[in-house]
Amino acid sequence: MIIPVRCFTCGKVVADKFEEFRREVRQGEDPAIVLDRLGLHRYCCRRMLLSHIDIIDSFMAFATSELVEET
Amino acid sequence: MEITIIRKQDDAIHFLLEGAHVGFANALRRTMLTRVPSMSIDEVLILENTSVMYDEILAHRLGLVPLVTKLDDYNLPEECDCEGKGCSLCQCTLTLEKEAGDQDMMVYSGDLSSQDPEVMPATEGIPLVKLAPHQTLILEAYARLGTGLENAKFQPVATVAYKNVPLVSVDKSKCNQCGDCVEVCPKNILVLEDDVLSTQNTLECSLCEACVRVCEPGAVTIDSKEDSFLFKVESTGALPPEEIVERAAEILKERIGEALDFANSL
Ligand code: SF4
Ligand code: SF4
Ligand SMILES: [Zn+2]
Ligand SMILES: [Zn+2]
Repeated sequence: MIIPVRCFTCGKVVADKFEEFRREVRQGEDPAIVLDRLGLHRYCCRRMLLSHIDIIDSFMAFATSELVEET
Repeated sequence: MEITIIRKQDDAIHFLLEGAHVGFANALRRTMLTRVPSMSIDEVLILENTSVMYDEILAHRLGLVPLVTKLDDYNLPEECDCEGKGCSLCQCTLTLEKEAGDQDMMVYSGDLSSQDPEVMPATEGIPLVKLAPHQTLILEAYARLGTGLENAKFQPVATVAYKNVPLVSVDKSKCNQCGDCVEVCPKNILVLEDDVLSTQNTLECSLCEACVRVCEPGAVTIDSKEDSFLFKVESTGALPPEEIVERAAEILKERIGEALDFANSL
């Protein structure tokens, strides 16, 4: 849905690096170089960013700003 | 026992521990992982959440945000005078209030405001949730000290790892300078210069033994020093890495003392 806060395997915080990663990769930078520069050296952390797909934007197409009463 | 600091960064420390048993090295590692306390959000009161994210997921994400911890300012709830009910000595309240305007808005960990200015998210850029136009999020979060023994979110470290100090040696009389080992080494430990094979940065060697397998005359040998350990401690930002090591050593000493007292009382 949204980038996980930490790496599932080792617990390093990865969420704060995702936006920069996505921006630079979209600009055509090699993902491997961006990951190295962001300090994600282990492959467990690297796959967190590499394999992530943000789908919160698709959910937001159905968003309301009303409080939904629970039934 | 001797400790030499090899490299120190803001969030990580590399040190060499010499003259210790592997049991001690592992005890130190496990103490850093599970016994050194740090602050984390443990309870969240959601007052309003019209975002697309469920309250539970949001609370879970908040729990994982590392908070800068001042260990001397707070008590562990079970050791506090309030007997774990929660008071200002063992609990810190953080609040978050955001409403999106006409645009989508990302809510970050930096948007949390804390009652204690010292206890703040270690990194401000963690996206928590994205709000669609006019959605609101109002919540109150209660942070407390805890240990990794209870929940991994309380671990002050992302990873603590150690390896034995590698010993890379080349038998010059057997070596025919073919260069195969130089090519295969992923860490560039072996260098061939002017027909002499030498080694560099041997501490970086990962003990993969790829060089041994490729060397036909059997000139390279990889060994490790049994009583020397290279530690790598990577902090989440909750505590400075050197403080994690110091605290872990103190806690370990105390626990060993307790065990000895008990053994002596038998
Ligand atoms: S064991 Fe691996 S890392 Fe170490 S020198 Fe040989 S090839 Fe390089
Ligand atoms: S592979 Fe063996 S023989 Fe070839 S350069 Fe390396 S040590 Fe010497
Ligand atoms: Zn990882
Ligand atoms: Zn208390």
